[in-house]
Amino acid sequence: MTEFLVDSSWWVPVYGVLGAVVTLPWSTGLIRRAGSRPAAYLNIVMTVVALLHCVILWTDLWDLPALHVDIPWLKLFDLNLYFSIELSRVSLGAAVLITVLSLLAQFFALGYLEKDWALGRFYALMGFFEGAMTGIALSDSLFSSYALLEMLTLSTYLLVGFWYAQPLVVTAARDAFLTKRVGDLLMLMGVVALSAIAGTLDYAELTAWAETAELAPLTATLLGLALLAGPIGKCAQFPLNLWLDEAMEGPSPASILRNSVVVACGAYVLIRMQPILSLSPVVLTTLMVVGAITAIGASLVSIGQIDIKRALSHTTSAYLGLVFLAVGMQQDEVALMLLFAHALSKALLYMSVGSVTLTTSTQDLTEMGGLGSRMPATSLAFAIGSIAMVGMVPFGGFWAMQIWAERVTVGAPGLLLILLLVNGLTAFNLTRVFGLVFAGEPQAKTRRAPEAPWAICLPMVSLIVMCLLVPVMLLQWELLPSLASVRSPLSLAIIGSSVVGFGFGAFIYLNPAFEHPLGLGWKSMQDILAQDFRTDQLYRVTVVFAVRRGARLAAWFDRYVVDGMVNLIGVASIFGSESLKYTISGQSKHYLLTVVIGVILGIASLGWLF
Amino acid sequence: MLSTQFPWLTALILFPLIAALPIPLLPNKYGKTVRFYALGVGFIEFATMLYAFWKHYDLQATGFQLVESYPWLPQIGLNWSVGVDGISMPLVILSGLITTLALLASWKINDKPRLFYVLMLVLYSAQIGVFVAQDLLLFFFMWELELVPVYLLISNWGGEKRLYAATKFILYTAAGSIFILVAALAMAFYGGDFTFDIQALGLKDYSLTFELAMYAAFLLAFGVKLPIFPFHTWLPDAHSEAPAPVSMILAGVLLKMAGYGLIRMGIEMLPNAHAYFAPALAVLGVVNIIYASLTAFAQTNLKRRMAYSSIAHMGFVLIGLASFTTLGISGAMLQMVSHGLIAAALFFLAGVTYDRTHTLMMDKLGGMAKQMPTVFALFTAGSMASLALPGMSGFVGELTIFLGFSSSDAYSVPFRAVVVLLAAVGVILSPIYLLSMLRSVFYGNEGSALAKLSLTDANPREAFIAVCLLIPIIGIGIYPKLATQTFDTTTVALTSHARMVLPAIAHKPMLDFQSPMMSAPVIGAETKAALLD
Repeated sequence: MTEFLVDSSWWVPVYGVLGAVVTLPWSTGLIRRAGSRPAAYLNIVMTVVALLHCVILWTDLWDLPALHVDIPWLKLFDLNLYFSIELSRVSLGAAVLITVLSLLAQFFALGYLEKDWALGRFYALMGFFEGAMTGIALSDSLFSSYALLEMLTLSTYLLVGFWYAQPLVVTAARDAFLTKRVGDLLMLMGVVALSAIAGTLDYAELTAWAETAELAPLTATLLGLALLAGPIGKCAQFPLNLWLDEAMEGPSPASILRNSVVVACGAYVLIRMQPILSLSPVVLTTLMVVGAITAIGASLVSIGQIDIKRALSHTTSAYLGLVFLAVGMQQDEVALMLLFAHALSKALLYMSVGSVTLTTSTQDLTEMGGLGSRMPATSLAFAIGSIAMVGMVPFGGFWAMQIWAERVTVGAPGLLLILLLVNGLTAFNLTRVFGLVFAGEPQAKTRRAPEAPWAICLPMVSLIVMCLLVPVMLLQWELLPSLASVRSPLSLAIIGSSVVGFGFGAFIYLNPAFEHPLGLGWKSMQDILAQDFRTDQLYRVTVVFAVRRGARLAAWFDRYVVDGMVNLIGVASIFGSESLKYTISGQSKHYLLTVVIGVILGIASLGWLF
Repeated sequence: MLSTQFPWLTALILFPLIAALPIPLLPNKYGKTVRFYALGVGFIEFATMLYAFWKHYDLQATGFQLVESYPWLPQIGLNWSVGVDGISMPLVILSGLITTLALLASWKINDKPRLFYVLMLVLYSAQIGVFVAQDLLLFFFMWELELVPVYLLISNWGGEKRLYAATKFILYTAAGSIFILVAALAMAFYGGDFTFDIQALGLKDYSLTFELAMYAAFLLAFGVKLPIFPFHTWLPDAHSEAPAPVSMILAGVLLKMAGYGLIRMGIEMLPNAHAYFAPALAVLGVVNIIYASLTAFAQTNLKRRMAYSSIAHMGFVLIGLASFTTLGISGAMLQMVSHGLIAAALFFLAGVTYDRTHTLMMDKLGGMAKQMPTVFALFTAGSMASLALPGMSGFVGELTIFLGFSSSDAYSVPFRAVVVLLAAVGVILSPIYLLSMLRSVFYGNEGSALAKLSLTDANPREAFIAVCLLIPIIGIGIYPKLATQTFDTTTVALTSHARMVLPAIAHKPMLDFQSPMMSAPVIGAETKAALLD
């Protein structure tokens, strides 16, 4: 049985894609009478199958070393492309996490998109999304990881552009694709170069190669920077971070996945490439600088947002910044643990937010308030998600941060400050959102809000339970730090920062004394945060400007110089023949004269030449 | 060299020509008979082609196959000699597929349908003739034969500026193709024996200067057709003014004739000159990619934008041809096949859009996805293929070219790095112009041209054509061997032929690309045993 499951492990990503394919009759409109529901159910079934496959493999292979399975893809002369699969605790665990969250998100979508006419298309995209992500989790070669990251780019584009008639969606989908694509292509260049230098793209062999490789510093740096670009785009790190914020225009069930596991996929690939990146200290420094800038910047920016989904999406970037810092200090295990804790709690937060936006039909924080008593399950989910995300004993976020603080800050105590700052700001921001949405006086759009339907509450409550169980899971996997370390000043600092953040947040946003808490602070400061430190202006004056100007210049050159030359020749010949026309007088003496002059000129020129 | 079997290739060339003869006499009640007749001819031709190659073409053999040779006009040395190898066979199939689909796409031609279909069938013959001709004079003849129908098709059934575009097209390509004739005559008379046979010409021992001059002549002729900057400006005009079926053939097949010509005349017949010209080809390829991509972004006409995108994608073919590696040259072949399919699909879909909106100006379109979801989906798929998304043929072609060029030992490392990087910039630019095209045509609110216009989604015929093109695109993307196996034995031979003249690398093992990109141990016996316990 196990052997069969191992041999067929390449089916795990295929289930999702197959689910996408079987929805074709519904999404193309071949079946109209039955509605799109069956498409949704088929996809959910495929996800359950994928989940079972992963879980059984995971439990069976728990005690075994990592297994490698190869599926040949392209064989061209001496070029052999395989889809290599690695089956290990980590990769299967990641696949299980992805399928669980995908299942919950798809269930959630049953309620969220109940009346959407394009349900079939949505589930097809979700199946595709899930297939690409499980593929990345199991992939054992950089090449297939790269190809699958591109698949993620495509499905993000299509999912964000799901409601293609909305004006904001239009630019959001395009920006998501372009930003990620820039990262992906730089990464592809790195992959091409690496395949020529290292002669392999298999992770295990790359790791072995990296141990003994002697590269010129410049080569190693360029290679590493190119490879780094892919995860920077995928994980929404500065300067490729704004797509995630814009992508919040897409449907919420996809946002659940995007903010939890999709960004994690980029980080997962980054972790697997870490031995190669470590070849150059410059690359590691860049990695950490990018992570640090994003962690602090995105935490600050999230406070300035008044869109409920965007307020949370920036914290995703911030946490991924912490993951980047961990990878930069070569602490892969810490990075994975933080990703795990973040994925579950963030997914829960987004479910709660999705439920709020569904019932209130708005994403604007200024239009909300007083939902706590009307939507108890949703507010509970938000509260638990918040506590699980920041460093509060005994939830998942705390343990991840504790280990982060213990291992990553070794030799670099300054990093602890970043962690505490991010944690405190996140706690503050989550309290702020909680206060604005669930506490306070109800407004027009929230007054009659009912609790979300069961199809939304069921996955939400299940995820609450899972979030609460994270410490137990970590205990089970023997990943918890010793109890002695918990009493250290580090954990006190983490808890302290959370408490300060929560406290400040509660003081401002849960306090009836502040009537218009949104308008607090300096106006200019608030604006600059709300506008993401004007990063989009940075894009506008650099890349967008260059491309647009370049395009205009090239088109001008093409039209007036290259083509102008051609038209000039055409006009000149027409002009020549038109003017020669007038020499045809019909009188033979004129012709004779012309011939004589021509002969004289010809002889003269010959004489001059020789 | 007359084979005893049925003359398949002659039949393939002559059948559409002969079948076109009775069209003027056909009764054309309700305008249906002629179009079904032409479509039937197209399908029979395509099916015959597939059958002939399936039955009689050996994928493992290197030389020419299905060879036939008859003296035609012995007084001037013209022989009817035809044959196919791995370079021409895939392109013959490509032209068969695209022309047949173009016949199906010209359903709405109600103006002078008889003449239209006669010209289409003549064009069909001429394309196949170009790819299978083994006699340089016959090649030239077929090359010219293909120009006339295209000129007439554009000037009769084109858009507003059709006369300008058609004249520009015929002047450019006719002027370019004179160099083929000049080179053919010069090479035929060189040395003692007079011949136009391509293989015999390839065996002649030319002086280097002569070879360089001949190569330059061919490069001019094919550079206009491919097109190479700065001889490209006929293409945006011709493509945007031509009716959709003709654009499909123009972009899908006719551009590939130039790539084919560069391989056949350049690399195969004049390898010494190719060694001198190859770096220039790589540079021209890069210029094509970046220049055309940037220009594409500034276009406001849908078909002009796609036309510039074609120019950019053909730049990759040049880089592949310049690589001196098997991977690079195979990549060039793959890119030609893949671009043929993708460009045909996109131009067809642009035609579908134009049929409904009667404008191609992107600023007047917009929000069409609401009323035409199927066209939107197909357009998105075509654009994704064109911007080289993994899993679609464009990606495999461009990746193979990248790998082939970056592993080429004929160039210094900095040159390779710069070429590959600049080409990659082009790949970054392609989503910029393609996505903004999708955005302004399909997303958002409805544009001014669509006001009070009720659009109908793609009908089954249109969806069928697009799907017929998308299936091979995705098929090749997922399993590239589908396409590569048709030409890989020939490209191996071709590459070693090209490398023979480079003394520095001639004696190095040819398969220098020592990095099987991925190879990992399969599940070992021990672990399997451990599993079973």
